[in-house]
Amino acid sequence: MKHMQLRILSALLLIAPAAVAQDDLGAIFGKDSVRRDPVIATFKSTRIINAQSNETLARGDLDFRVAHRFGDMGGADGGSATFFGIDNSTDIRIAFEYGITDRLTAGVSRAKGSGHFSQLYEVLGKFKLLQQTMDNRVPLAITLFGNAVVTSMKSSPDKEAVSYFNKFSSRMSYTAQAVVARKFGDRFSLALLPSYVHRNRVGYMDMNNLFALGVGGRLRFSKRVALVVDYFVPFRDQASKDYYKTLGIEYYNPLGIGVEIETGGHVFHLNFTNSTATLENQFIPETTTSWLQGQFRWGFNISRRFSLGH
Amino acid sequence: MKGTTLIIPAISNYDQMKQLFSLAITFLLLGRLAAQDVYSCRNATLGFFSSAPLEDIEAKTSQGASAINIKTKAVYFKVPINTFQFKKKLMQEHFNENYLESDKYPHAEFKGKILEAVDLTQNGTYPVTVEGALNIHGVTRNYREKGTITVQNGKINATAKFTVRVADHKIKIPTLVVKNIAEVVEVSVNADYQPVK
Repeated sequence: MKHMQLRILSALLLIAPAAVAQDDLGAIFGKDSVRRDPVIATFKSTRIINAQSNETLARGDLDFRVAHRFGDMGGADGGSATFFGIDNSTDIRIAFEYGITDRLTAGVSRAKGSGHFSQLYEVLGKFKLLQQTMDNRVPLAITLFGNAVVTSMKSSPDKEAVSYFNKFSSRMSYTAQAVVARKFGDRFSLALLPSYVHRNRVGYMDMNNLFALGVGGRLRFSKRVALVVDYFVPFRDQASKDYYKTLGIEYYNPLGIGVEIETGGHVFHLNFTNSTATLENQFIPETTTSWLQGQFRWGFNISRRFSLGH
Repeated sequence: MKGTTLIIPAISNYDQMKQLFSLAITFLLLGRLAAQDVYSCRNATLGFFSSAPLEDIEAKTSQGASAINIKTKAVYFKVPINTFQFKKKLMQEHFNENYLESDKYPHAEFKGKILEAVDLTQNGTYPVTVEGALNIHGVTRNYREKGTITVQNGKINATAKFTVRVADHKIKIPTLVVKNIAEVVEVSVNADYQPVK
């Protein structure tokens, strides 16, 4: 019996040093620590289609963006006469956006404008407040976006017109927005966009202050191709809707559907939207074109990024 | 050492107990010696360089973990893929998302052995050959590469340079950027080891 115990003990003692000397050296570094790294590439670009994504530019990156929206594909202005809208362009936006830090992006753009005002200049800022982490300790990403837009169009001589500017501030409009996003797995990302648009000058019974909720998503088919969708519900008063209905103007919720193709430094979108405009200040409050009446259009977004930071 | 406390009270004979204690001490010492054969490094520097017609790409990390057992000559490396730093952050994103898929394959890992009979307890510079399995992007390949180990007063430094064919690890490069990314990348490794206590 005693010998038995002795044998067990020696066996145990033999195992102990063997465990240290074994060849699996990886064991000495312990288990992989839980990864607190931020989730990357929730979206591939700073825009979903019209909507902002939570992404900002890396420090020193310059993003050259061109967005183009054609005319109505169907309805009265579409069809073969305009080659399904290709002959017309409702909005064109050219932008330079720059990553001041990895979290802060600033940009300027010029847009043709589609809505009450045209000839628009935009100054924008975007700040990454919160990043989703791989260990889910931070389950959401939050990015703040704001812009100020001024129109350089000539004032209308008609004092009743929306585009009559008795003072400079009448030319201004603003957007403030939060992008709350989450990447689910490696294929699907979703964003909610509580938004606020303020336009200094609006028509009778229109709203200077308009809140809206946007939702956007991206579903990756392959490493380079994804489906993108964005949709906004503006909270316009019933009284305002009713009044404009009597004038034959109906407001619709802007919906965009697109295919996103990414190749190296380029991100290319081919999309369809019912909204004619590219800027939040217009497509959220001033979309009066409807998918159901053929008033949707081809559009594309092109993003080309340059690394200037070194 | 749970075994000792469990069994010793059951032993009545004094001689046997003495025998057991000396046995225990002997093995404990052996254990300590075995541990001292292992040297580790938690800030190994790893880098790679890719030279293609349109672009040279370079990335570096100093968060590699490595260990050497100077008795068994076992060599170990592990590096978190997403710690590689690129000059162009967009490139870093593509590297993680599209090429190395660091979500799915967060580490590169190497388990190998030094083939030569070198005595790494002695000061000196030793050219060595290391053979083993390297796992990148979830694909394991066998490599046999040259390196240099320098021993100085109980500290070990190891360096190596070798090439990895990206296709060997099922890392796909789309034809569109084939002029930007080389098919073969040069990997360099540098690690300073301390004895594991």
